[in-house]
Amino acid sequence: MLRVAGPSTPDTVRVQTAENVSIGFTTAGLGSRVVAQLIDNVIALPLAYIAAFAYSALAVSASSGQSVTIVAGGALFALFFVYFGYFLVCEVVMGGRTPGKAAMGLRVVRLDGSAPDFVALLIRNVVRVLDVALFAAGIGVVIMFFHPLSRRLGDIAASTIVVRERSRVTLATAAAAPPLITRAPDAGPAVEGIERLGSTEYNALRTFLTRAGLAPELRARLAADIAARMLERLAVAPSAPERFWPPELLLERLYLQLDQRLR
Amino acid sequence: MSLDTFIATRQPEWSELEAAINQARRGRLRSTSATQLERFGMLLRHASSDLAIARRDYPDAQVTEYLNSLCSRANPLLYRGSPMRISAVPEFFATGLPRAFRAAWPYILASCALLLLGFIGGWLAVVLRPDLRDSLVPHSLFDELARGGHPTVPDAPFAAAFIIQNNIRVALICFGFGVLWGIVPALVMLSNGWMLGTIAAAVHEGGYDVRFWALIVPHGVIELSIIVIAGGTGLMLGDAVLRPGLQRRGDALGAAARSAVALAVGAAMLLVIAGTMEAYVSPSGLPDAAKLAVGGTAAVLLYSWLLLAGRRRTVAPEHEPRSWTALSGLPGEVPT
Repeated sequence: MLRVAGPSTPDTVRVQTAENVSIGFTTAGLGSRVVAQLIDNVIALPLAYIAAFAYSALAVSASSGQSVTIVAGGALFALFFVYFGYFLVCEVVMGGRTPGKAAMGLRVVRLDGSAPDFVALLIRNVVRVLDVALFAAGIGVVIMFFHPLSRRLGDIAASTIVVRERSRVTLATAAAAPPLITRAPDAGPAVEGIERLGSTEYNALRTFLTRAGLAPELRARLAADIAARMLERLAVAPSAPERFWPPELLLERLYLQLDQRLR
Repeated sequence: MSLDTFIATRQPEWSELEAAINQARRGRLRSTSATQLERFGMLLRHASSDLAIARRDYPDAQVTEYLNSLCSRANPLLYRGSPMRISAVPEFFATGLPRAFRAAWPYILASCALLLLGFIGGWLAVVLRPDLRDSLVPHSLFDELARGGHPTVPDAPFAAAFIIQNNIRVALICFGFGVLWGIVPALVMLSNGWMLGTIAAAVHEGGYDVRFWALIVPHGVIELSIIVIAGGTGLMLGDAVLRPGLQRRGDALGAAARSAVALAVGAAMLLVIAGTMEAYVSPSGLPDAAKLAVGGTAAVLLYSWLLLAGRRRTVAPEHEPRSWTALSGLPGEVPT
């Protein structure tokens, strides 16, 4: 069942996992899904046509007196069966993906973030006959366009969603760049009231100090602004020496002191 | 804990989990050993708790997004529904399918009623408007039969393939299109009934009833039953969308699809039997009485299976004094 935890932005769905931590899944948009479908069509349609031609050849060669309807009907079935079977078999074997979905970094998952079972995949692929009813621009595309989680009818019937697996953040980018400390050789004398600052201020300072490529005068203005707020929070005396440090030096020292304390 | 320390201390496990994900993707966890699997679960739990910590302490940091993506990729690899086992297939046909059939009886009955309605309508149309007979009765070998001809029947294996594919497609379309308020399955039932009704009326007027029914009955009993079942599954989905009750429409549809899909796919499988009979028994040189007998036997077998197989025995619970251990859930002796 659907256990959505917390607010979901238009393209993410937060689900509560077995660990009782909510994970945000990014749902695949209409565009990537249509492209995945086109890639799959490039693979599945030739396969389906080969099957249909093979059947016709067999039927024609096996006996001479076949009615055209019978042969064409059988060939149509081979086409139908291979085309829709391709998606089902791929999703079962590849764990909720098809070659097209894998190329686009998409995967089918259930609404609780677990992998879909065979029955769910069966449902979403039988309902596919309806979703692609009018060929590529089927009902599924229209429904997907209007659905907040970009689900087609097969997804709704099978209680699945298609999510994006690729993330733009890797461990390398997540391991944030070290802050640029240029002015303060060390943490300096302990700032009065530093215990009033916590991780919020630490994160703000860090964000400022890791930001490279700011124009010097802009950086100075920004630093002065942040320093004024910090001094307000520190509630330092009007005559304290900290008030006369250059803003950028103050921020670096505050950062270093907080870093030592929070480490 | 500062962000750098957090990343530095936890990073080795994240990298290990990432490597495990990539490995599992290729081998789908199947080739991993039990200890590796246990380790995978532990790594995922740790990463999940790291994600919770990161959400609280560093909500805007890149690492939070990284952990979220790590967990979302690992989660479906570890948590999944029960896999499909080939060994479950015989059991499904022995008990699961008949149970699903009985559970869906109102829809199957409705589907059957629609077929009958179509049949009666078709029959009446031919009887009441003899001037329209030619446009009403579809041109087929049955039409030829009604006019007193001796139709040639196509070669059995390819006719069987044609018939089977046509029926399976109709069955699956009935299910899939049922999502749209059940309109398509209802129309399929009506039109199938109508077609049969017009042909039956035409044959009746020609006076070839026995030959006609001998051609229809051997396979028709199973085939029509299955088409009715498939129509019923479509009506089931349509009903879930139209009257979801206290659930949301999507949830109601999901629940209905889960119970109906087994019936629809099982029915499609049975069509293979019906199609084979249609191609081999129905047009064969057997005497008409024998063909009708085959149909009757098939009907008895089909319905005794659908109605009787897999019934749970309802035995009155024996009044046995509950033991103390059973109540407390403790393994041990009964206190004296």
